[in-house]
Amino acid sequence: MPRIPIGTFALVLLFTAACGGGAKTPSDNVLRIAMVSPGEAQIRVWKDIAGQYEKAHPGSKVELNFQKDTLYQAIGLPSLLNGRQAPDIYFEWAGDRLRTRVKEGFAADLGTQVTGGPLKGLIADSAYNRVKIDGKIVMVPFAADVTNVLWYNPKLLTDAGVQPPKTFDDLLAACDRLNAKGITPITSGNKDLWPAGNWLAHLVSRVVGEQSYHDTLSGKSGMNTPEWERAFGYIAQLKQHRCVNESANAANDNEGAQLFFKGKAAMHPIGSWLVSWAIDEAPGLAFDYVNLPEMPGGMGDQSSVIGVVTGYVVNAKSAKVKESAEFLALANSPANVAAFVKSGTVPLTKGTTPDKEVDQRTIRLDGLLADAKTVVSPPDTGYDLKRADALYRALAAVLGGEKSPKDALAEAASKAG
Amino acid sequence: MRPHKPLTPYLFAAPALLVFAFAVLAPVLATGAFSLTEWSGFGPMTFTGLGNYVRALGDDVFVGSFLHVTLYIVVTIVLEVAFGLVLAGVLAARRGGSPWFRVALFTPVMLPMVVVAVLWSFVYNGDFGLVNASLSAIGLDGLTRVWLGDPATALLAVCVVSGWVYAGFYMAIFYAALTQIPPEVIEAARLDGAGEARIFARVKVPMIRNAVEVCLLLCVTGGFQTFDLFYVLTGGGPYNATEIPTTYLTRVVFRDGEVGYGSAMAVLMTAVVVLVGIVFMRLRRGRGAEA
Repeated sequence: MPRIPIGTFALVLLFTAACGGGAKTPSDNVLRIAMVSPGEAQIRVWKDIAGQYEKAHPGSKVELNFQKDTLYQAIGLPSLLNGRQAPDIYFEWAGDRLRTRVKEGFAADLGTQVTGGPLKGLIADSAYNRVKIDGKIVMVPFAADVTNVLWYNPKLLTDAGVQPPKTFDDLLAACDRLNAKGITPITSGNKDLWPAGNWLAHLVSRVVGEQSYHDTLSGKSGMNTPEWERAFGYIAQLKQHRCVNESANAANDNEGAQLFFKGKAAMHPIGSWLVSWAIDEAPGLAFDYVNLPEMPGGMGDQSSVIGVVTGYVVNAKSAKVKESAEFLALANSPANVAAFVKSGTVPLTKGTTPDKEVDQRTIRLDGLLADAKTVVSPPDTGYDLKRADALYRALAAVLGGEKSPKDALAEAASKAG
Repeated sequence: MRPHKPLTPYLFAAPALLVFAFAVLAPVLATGAFSLTEWSGFGPMTFTGLGNYVRALGDDVFVGSFLHVTLYIVVTIVLEVAFGLVLAGVLAARRGGSPWFRVALFTPVMLPMVVVAVLWSFVYNGDFGLVNASLSAIGLDGLTRVWLGDPATALLAVCVVSGWVYAGFYMAIFYAALTQIPPEVIEAARLDGAGEARIFARVKVPMIRNAVEVCLLLCVTGGFQTFDLFYVLTGGGPYNATEIPTTYLTRVVFRDGEVGYGSAMAVLMTAVVVLVGIVFMRLRRGRGAEA
């Protein structure tokens, strides 16, 4: 039976997009906003803010476009920005992606709006440090997420006589003890490569040092070095000690988390979003976290945190830069910030106080990121996607025991370009 | 007889030609042009000549993807076409059997492939999947494995799902063809003392040869176009073990943003499919002439 000729279909779509060619946003009264889908609770807040804006600006309309994060990250946002109805405001991750937007001419300089416009005084100056490119503020920071910590089930650890691991050796010893008890030590659903990729990239940064990590992922130096091989050697040790579920590279992130939620695995390395996820999927589960254990002889900061700042960029090609700034200021008003806090997000707005209803682990994670001396950017949001993909594939191959550290790095180096 | 208005036929054909030009011809030509450039899909293009083609021919994942799809096609010819033929033969010998039996076999074809893939991802799940649970229940723990996570079994596991879906489809085609065979031919073979199996192999199958050949062509060309099953079940993994040209092309274009390279891959893939189609048609014509 004939199947969908997806390759041709994809290229037809791209061709059509290329024919569109319009990069300027239309000068109508519609304020277009694109973002990754932040979940129903937050979507309600955004819709409410859109209503407030329309009420305050009669005759204007706000169009919200929510997309699935993987679609938005790869092809969704570039398609929108190059389309005829490009967004005036769009969600973005700080790092290499933001730099690319600036280079492509899609990020407006918001300096005037922040120093003397509607955004003045709303967000602490220090929060702008991570969203400045070439000295210009090009994004309104909204939230900061820890993208990986080691979540653990205290009961399973206690039953096995194990403490939450502080060092890599502790972690290996914990794996051995948990395996002896018939419990999967760590569960990961790494079919899409980023879940374990994020975790192990953080481990690599601790071993090779943040500068080497940054230089390599920025394409300034190669991956195939003794330091990187040593870092990958630790991942091979995780395999030798059967630390991670055998199905890791075949399961998606949800399937990986289910083993943790069902109490079949003792630890789960993933980001801060596990808290809200667990509220729905495992409401009675007691769990906590530790940051990535210290790596022996690591050249990086052993208390570093892997995380990312996200926020909203105003399209430099928009005819509504001022209106966009006004909308973002409205989103950061005390009432709306309170609504965001209630929805489980703690915005970076000045004076934001976490609600009593916000989970204490979320508050502690925000503190962990805020107090961190070193924040490591995840490969897939902080750097070039192709290089991140090459690294993730190499990490998965070593974690699955498919390749030796040396072979995996050699292949990654050739793929990263 | 000459038409009174010579332009009329062209005017009637014009809408279809315009749609064809816009929806097929222009994208094909554009893909060919893109394949000679380095381009992210947006922004300026850089002309690279045949560089993308040279790169594709030296790309072990791309070359390997053709090996995987060839294996997939070979296995699905057995699981889909051959098994569908046998099912149709059994049904035809039993004068159609229960209609519910045919409906049950045809039902998987009606399910969207993405739904099928999601269902089977649960069946194959290494931790709580049906296959491993069944094996454990009958004491065959030694045979349990991560079916979609083991490079040795992942491709075969995908082929089995494909067979489960399409065997019913080919069965329906073959069953329709078998019911067109004149009953007197079958009766004559029976009177000559042939059993059902012999009648099926020596009389029925040769008489529906055209249907078999069309199904083989559909299976081969469809195999090259397959995408959704692989994308949802394995995403080309583990370690590129199930990477086929369509999944790799999607990865290169949509993940890495390399439209120029992806276009070169699409052109090469099209060339291979056309070549296979031509070879197949030549073989068919040659056998037709022999007959």
